[in-house]
Amino acid sequence: MNNHEASRVVYDVFTRIKRGDDLFHVGSVEAESEQLAKVYASFTYDEEKWVEMVVVNRDQIKWVRKPEGLFEKEGA
Amino acid sequence: MAEMKTGLAQFTNVVEKIADNKYLLGDRLVEIGVSGPRLESTLSAIAMAQGELGHARLLYSWALDLSGFSGKKPEIESQTGKAFQFIEQVDDWVSLIAALYTVNASVDIVLNAVLKAENTDIVSRIQKLIREQKEHMMYTEGWIRQLREDSKPVQQKLQQYLDAYTLEAAEWLESLDADKTLQEGGYLSNDSALAEQLSQRLQKTAVLN
Repeated sequence: MNNHEASRVVYDVFTRIKRGDDLFHVGSVEAESEQLAKVYASFTYDEEKWVEMVVVNRDQIKWVRKPEGLFEKEGA
Repeated sequence: MAEMKTGLAQFTNVVEKIADNKYLLGDRLVEIGVSGPRLESTLSAIAMAQGELGHARLLYSWALDLSGFSGKKPEIESQTGKAFQFIEQVDDWVSLIAALYTVNASVDIVLNAVLKAENTDIVSRIQKLIREQKEHMMYTEGWIRQLREDSKPVQQKLQQYLDAYTLEAAEWLESLDADKTLQEGGYLSNDSALAEQLSQRLQKTAVLN
């Protein structure tokens, strides 16, 4: 199943515990498709009875500001 | 009430068969799923195993209620012997996915036909089960897609398993179609054509990509 390695994408998982709560980042899953990402997220992050759960393809996140590497000068 | 008695024994058999399939599938999901190709697929397989075993427990308890059992319900230590034979042969990831697909698809078709019959006592028992099974179906279809994009030998292996497994499932659905007591007793909708529905799903799956 090696030819799937290239097609695997990281999806960040966001959840909301109750209506009105903030949506927060709980982790991520790696999946070959959006459909599998949803199922993996649902089964992996099942510690709460979330009212809402969202998966976002990490490639689709647009950075406004990104922290600089702590050891950038050393080339790390 | 007399109308409800028609087909009751047959319906109890259907409930037990679904329970048996879920019981064995739960076992295979733990045994094979634990060495799944990805961490996420393994975690999901174990979570689904819990789901399948939970469904089996509920269905066995319901089957006892249907057969008029009263008193303390016994612990379930083995299936009743109605499970699909192919589940016991599952011994690798590809056969697990093929078995998951076949069981989930055929059980889903039967439960939806039961739901359509609108028997209120029964509907309340299976609605949650059908909802939970949707995620299992999504997982399985997702993996069918993956395996269909894999190397030629994997694709062929998957197709061989699907061909063999769905044959047994189709035979079961045909027997339910032929047994009119289930419809007369109000346990199955009149227009279900279960075997035909499975065939349509398979055609849809054949082009999943």
